[in-house]
Amino acid sequence: MAIAKCSVESVEGDLVKLEVKDTNRPDLWSAEGIAREIKLRTRKPGLPAYRTFKSKVKVIVDSSVKDVRPFTTCAIVTELQMNQAGLSQMIQLQEKVASSYGAGRREVAIGVYDLKRITPPIRYTTVDPDGIRFVPLDLEEELTPREILHRHPKGREFGHLLGGARRYPMFVDSSGEVMSIPPIINSNFSGKVTEDTRRVFIECSGFSQDRLSGALNVLSTALAERGGSIGQVEVRYPGRAIVTPDLRPRRARLSLSRFRQISDLNVSVKEAYRLLEKSGYKVTRRKNDRIEVMYPAHRQDIMHERDLMEDVLISYGYDLIKPERPRLPTVGELSDVERFSESVSSVMTGLGFQQVMSYVLTNEVNLFSKMNLSGQPVIELENPVSSSWTKFRNWLLPSVMEFLSHNTHADYPQRIFEVGDSILPDAKEETRAVDRRKLACAIAGADVGYQDISSALDALLYALGTRYELQAVSHPTFIQGRVADVIDQGKSIGVVGEIDPGVLEMWKLEVPASAFEIDLTYLMEGLA
Amino acid sequence: MPEKLKLTDEGTEYLKHGLPEMQLVGALRQGPLTLDQASSSVRNLDIALQWGKKKGWVRIEGGVIYLTRAPDAVPEQEALELISKGIPVDEEITQVLFQRKLVVPESAILDELKKLEGRTVSNLTPDLIRTGFWRKVKIRPYDVKAIGAKTYPAKLQPYNRFLSELRHKLVELGFVEMRGPTIETEFWNYDALYQPQGHPARDWLSTFYVKGSDVGDLPPIAEKVKMAHERGVSGSSGWGHRWDPARARRLIPRAHGTALSARTLAKGPLIPGKYFAMARCYRPDVVDALHFIEFIQVEGIVVDSTLTFRNLLGILEMFAKEVADAEELRFVPDYYPFTEPSVQMSARHPAMGWVEIGGAGIFREELTKPLGVDIPVIAWGLGMDRLAMFKLGVRDIRDLFSRDLEWMRGKEVL
Repeated sequence: MAIAKCSVESVEGDLVKLEVKDTNRPDLWSAEGIAREIKLRTRKPGLPAYRTFKSKVKVIVDSSVKDVRPFTTCAIVTELQMNQAGLSQMIQLQEKVASSYGAGRREVAIGVYDLKRITPPIRYTTVDPDGIRFVPLDLEEELTPREILHRHPKGREFGHLLGGARRYPMFVDSSGEVMSIPPIINSNFSGKVTEDTRRVFIECSGFSQDRLSGALNVLSTALAERGGSIGQVEVRYPGRAIVTPDLRPRRARLSLSRFRQISDLNVSVKEAYRLLEKSGYKVTRRKNDRIEVMYPAHRQDIMHERDLMEDVLISYGYDLIKPERPRLPTVGELSDVERFSESVSSVMTGLGFQQVMSYVLTNEVNLFSKMNLSGQPVIELENPVSSSWTKFRNWLLPSVMEFLSHNTHADYPQRIFEVGDSILPDAKEETRAVDRRKLACAIAGADVGYQDISSALDALLYALGTRYELQAVSHPTFIQGRVADVIDQGKSIGVVGEIDPGVLEMWKLEVPASAFEIDLTYLMEGLA
Repeated sequence: MPEKLKLTDEGTEYLKHGLPEMQLVGALRQGPLTLDQASSSVRNLDIALQWGKKKGWVRIEGGVIYLTRAPDAVPEQEALELISKGIPVDEEITQVLFQRKLVVPESAILDELKKLEGRTVSNLTPDLIRTGFWRKVKIRPYDVKAIGAKTYPAKLQPYNRFLSELRHKLVELGFVEMRGPTIETEFWNYDALYQPQGHPARDWLSTFYVKGSDVGDLPPIAEKVKMAHERGVSGSSGWGHRWDPARARRLIPRAHGTALSARTLAKGPLIPGKYFAMARCYRPDVVDALHFIEFIQVEGIVVDSTLTFRNLLGILEMFAKEVADAEELRFVPDYYPFTEPSVQMSARHPAMGWVEIGGAGIFREELTKPLGVDIPVIAWGLGMDRLAMFKLGVRDIRDLFSRDLEWMRGKEVL
């Protein structure tokens, strides 16, 4: 499995669940593709050969699709030996290609039809959303396309891709039988494939002719792996015609010397050829260092000679290559902020404070409401997964209060601190935000007061070589008359005081608490 | 020879804080005080008033204390200081100190101690040690199995300790720590890493986006990155899609630490260079026991002209042995959009069995060339959370950021 970049997740009788790691290889997203890969690397090297022929099926593209879903590629596959497994693989492949390679059906949508029920030529055109009725797949009543968008599950899921278009794209055959409304749903009549289906019509629709070709090549060759013959279809746009699928192999080049250098393997020319063939390439010629190959049309991922190099290495066998630690004389170093944070943490634990660690992502309530503050501008998520984690903290004290609120049953006094990052919006910064390392510290317990917290703050700042001043200030989180600004070289670097009982109540604490918070980034910059 | 003197406890206190009547005088320098006010700043106010009045320094009128005369010198205070240094003082002042019970003759102490001769005492005292009299008493044995009151040492947070040890290990192995902003542009997080703009990892369900219409700045090399995406570089075909700079400016919380590696390459790394980062990253994920939306990623790069695929395997092997105590290794092919070739490593941990420890690859040329680097760059990443969860004995990944103080108090450090 490893050579096909898969790992086995589970095996239940006949059913094997695999995770395919390569998100760039849609040709591996089905049993047929994986089998093909394993076969060529173990038994049948070189380019795969598929039976192809020029079919008589034509697809006529109306100019009206240009504004809503401009391109299509199509194929037919005959002599299919379909069974339950093959059917489920085809459906799975179609879904995965459209969702991943096709970016949620937006770039590529795929339809597969029972060719027996279609009368060519096929037209790819547009239709008035209320202008036609047909039975969509999996339902029993006739609906208009607009109704399908509201009532069919696929309509609700993918309707947004039509973006309120005035006319919807449609595949229809020459007898007027609706085949599908891409990218939404097939018709029940022709758009249903079963184990008995022997001949299929495949279409891919979307916004990039290249991407659609790639998808079609993957689908059609997968079906051909099951014994089918691929029939090419003529797609007639206004003013030009193309024949799809184009399964001609493509060209690529590999520098033997660069391969030897990157791999540190001294492979001979003959060995290189053998490994290339084992990877599914056909060597066409060599000019000194440069080997020219052809690769099959179902490969969408070949961009650079590195892609060939990786294939060659996989065929060689990663387990046969001896690891070698690089001998590089480099000197390691902690970042300034981490080194500083370690010193701070060391002093704080020396003062008897237990270190805690919390998430930077939090919410409005914790950050402000429960601290008796009105909201401040902070960095917020556009697409959070939960209302609990929507905003990035711009100060640490709420995290510390939250910690205390989770430990009302633990022995008091509780002395805790956190050193961590907070994110401040800043229009001057490259990414409109800046990270600041902060320290927040709290003591909770029956006899705890300003004298305890100020004494700890003093010990810490003294140990960090900071000569600071305290200035009485107002701060809604703290008791009026028991809170001070911490000033260093004329700048406010933090706050210290006794927590306001209203805030204690909101955090469900029943003992007094005192706390301070210091901006360590300021301190670091000041001491620099 | 004048008798050796020793300060009593009261004498020692006055030595430290000053005689009470001196403290009172000091407090009155700012003005008269009521009895209430004075009692909060002067210890032993009753003694202070007694001696202060006697010496004519203070008077009380209508519940208010007034300073009559501030003394020039306080002989008792000076004497206490001399005696504490073992310097003899004259007889007259000694008598005053005896009267106020601020000093006792050493012989008086010895007389007291003599009563204990041959007996068993509960505590070894400073007097016993200083006089040598400890030789003449027995010290009561304890039930040594009984421990004193329960106490908790303050420690580093357990997950933080794990990360800190890992950080130091990486520094020991010669890696330099990288730092960068939590909020990134899509440019550094994806485009500079040659991840195409249409890649599913960049869509709404797979990446967090920052709310609002602010966008970030693009660096000058964005032009080169654009070319690489649209038309490829050094023989590559590129992604072939139009590269949208407006898209690249969008702000996202960092989705992986590799953004830092991109920045480091663009700044011009040391050559040879070994870098690491332990970055907080954010991804919308289904929250379960093994996944949370905020997590720490350990990753980095190695830069040198001599690097080969064998070094890629060698670096992973080094981490497996040095960082994860692994015994056996397995390398399999893998895929990352920014590296080719890529490798994933599983290692057999003595207790955990086979685990995926990390992955690595050689950065694609389409990535390194636009950033100005023309030599191989190995990018590596380690999945440390499972190891951390195992070492800390937690089952849910959110317990790495535990809120359980009792658990932390009781946690061992080794």
